[in-house]
Amino acid sequence: MTIPDLPNPIDYAVPGFILLIIIEMIWAKRRAPEKYEPKDTLTSLAFGMGSTVAGLFVASGVIAVSLWAYDFRLMTIPFTWWAWIICFFIDDLAYYAFHRSAHRVRWFWASHVNHHSSQHYNLSTALRQTWTGFFAISFIFRVPLMFLGFHPAMVAFIGAVNLIYQFWIHTDAIDRFPRWFEAVMNTPRHHRVHHATNPRYLDRNYAGVFIIWDRMFGTFTQEVYDEPIRYGIVKQLGTFNLLWSVFHEWVGIAQDVWSAPWRHKLGYIWRQPGWTHDGSRETSDTIRERWQEEQAWKTSTSSSLAADPVAAQPQAG
Amino acid sequence: MIAVIAKLGVSLLSILALAWFAKLLNLGGDLRIRDEDHARALAQEAVFGFVATDIVIDRAGMGALLKDAQGRQMLLRRHGAAFVGRLLDRRLEARLDQNFLTIGTGEKTFGSITLNLGDAAQYWAAGLRHVPA
Repeated sequence: MTIPDLPNPIDYAVPGFILLIIIEMIWAKRRAPEKYEPKDTLTSLAFGMGSTVAGLFVASGVIAVSLWAYDFRLMTIPFTWWAWIICFFIDDLAYYAFHRSAHRVRWFWASHVNHHSSQHYNLSTALRQTWTGFFAISFIFRVPLMFLGFHPAMVAFIGAVNLIYQFWIHTDAIDRFPRWFEAVMNTPRHHRVHHATNPRYLDRNYAGVFIIWDRMFGTFTQEVYDEPIRYGIVKQLGTFNLLWSVFHEWVGIAQDVWSAPWRHKLGYIWRQPGWTHDGSRETSDTIRERWQEEQAWKTSTSSSLAADPVAAQPQAG
Repeated sequence: MIAVIAKLGVSLLSILALAWFAKLLNLGGDLRIRDEDHARALAQEAVFGFVATDIVIDRAGMGALLKDAQGRQMLLRRHGAAFVGRLLDRRLEARLDQNFLTIGTGEKTFGSITLNLGDAAQYWAAGLRHVPA
């Protein structure tokens, strides 16, 4: 099988990223200046550059693991048009699995939190990429593609295209697309939900390119228009310090593992972010449960008022 | 190797240029806490379920202190073009100087903020002695 010499698509996409960020900044100036914050933008872009540098250091390790897995492949899939299409779909499913784990397992979250720690949602946020993905072994989610028989070069190329697609959906400047497009593709509307900290939106819409995975696996939530979205993480960082922003969750894991009783130590690594053995913190699930209880209470109160407005009034004495 | 270094150099220049452009456009604006309702909403955003019953806002709107019915106290402060909040606990550091109350959460990277609380400064400084452990 001839292996084509594939370029890195991200190299070609970067000028487009810069141009689109400039256009979005001009849009923000006219429509919503608070959508951008210069220091936040600088931090996000520094994340992106640091991620590239980290990638240079670990590339050989990722290539070695990928080639090792490819040696054990079930079949040899050629570089033909249908293979590219199938690889793209399976890679996007693998991305969904990775992304869901990145929000539900603290070890993976410690790396992925970098992408979510901005309180702003704009195209510069898309470039807020992790430096510690290799350390978190996030790449293992793509290894099954090599076991299946897709060549590592094809998987790497497809992964880069997937990443490029996800750039443009990090914007508030686009409201929504036609229904058929929103039904299949991940869009700004769907991804805003993913970056939101509103209880109704926590840990939803993990899709990369195709939103169908969320619809299939029950993690899809539609954006509602009567509630402003708040972006970032449940406990906002409150600093633009780059190194703290990169490593804060790793430091948190180390501190928790150190201070936890022996039988709970591993729980601080593999359980959900926010989990504690004594229940002293909240996870996204517990926050959502409280929110749902509050909504149910509001609904029952408003129905009581509608049914019997006099009885629902506070009684004197 | 030279190509890689050149690429990183161009990336660095692009990053600085974009941040400079955002500053040039004066993006971010000058956010302030407008009133008690605004502070209450920000506190609810910072910690879901925090319903403020007592609020004092910095004269310039740069921050606020809030209490809820459970006796919890929250510090709100501006962070760029957004606000951040923290529930206060025993790690807090506070210093009162007439109308000015300087508060740190004990969290190094969160920093401290000096609030001009006017006549209410003493009352709120005293209240900080009762934060939970």
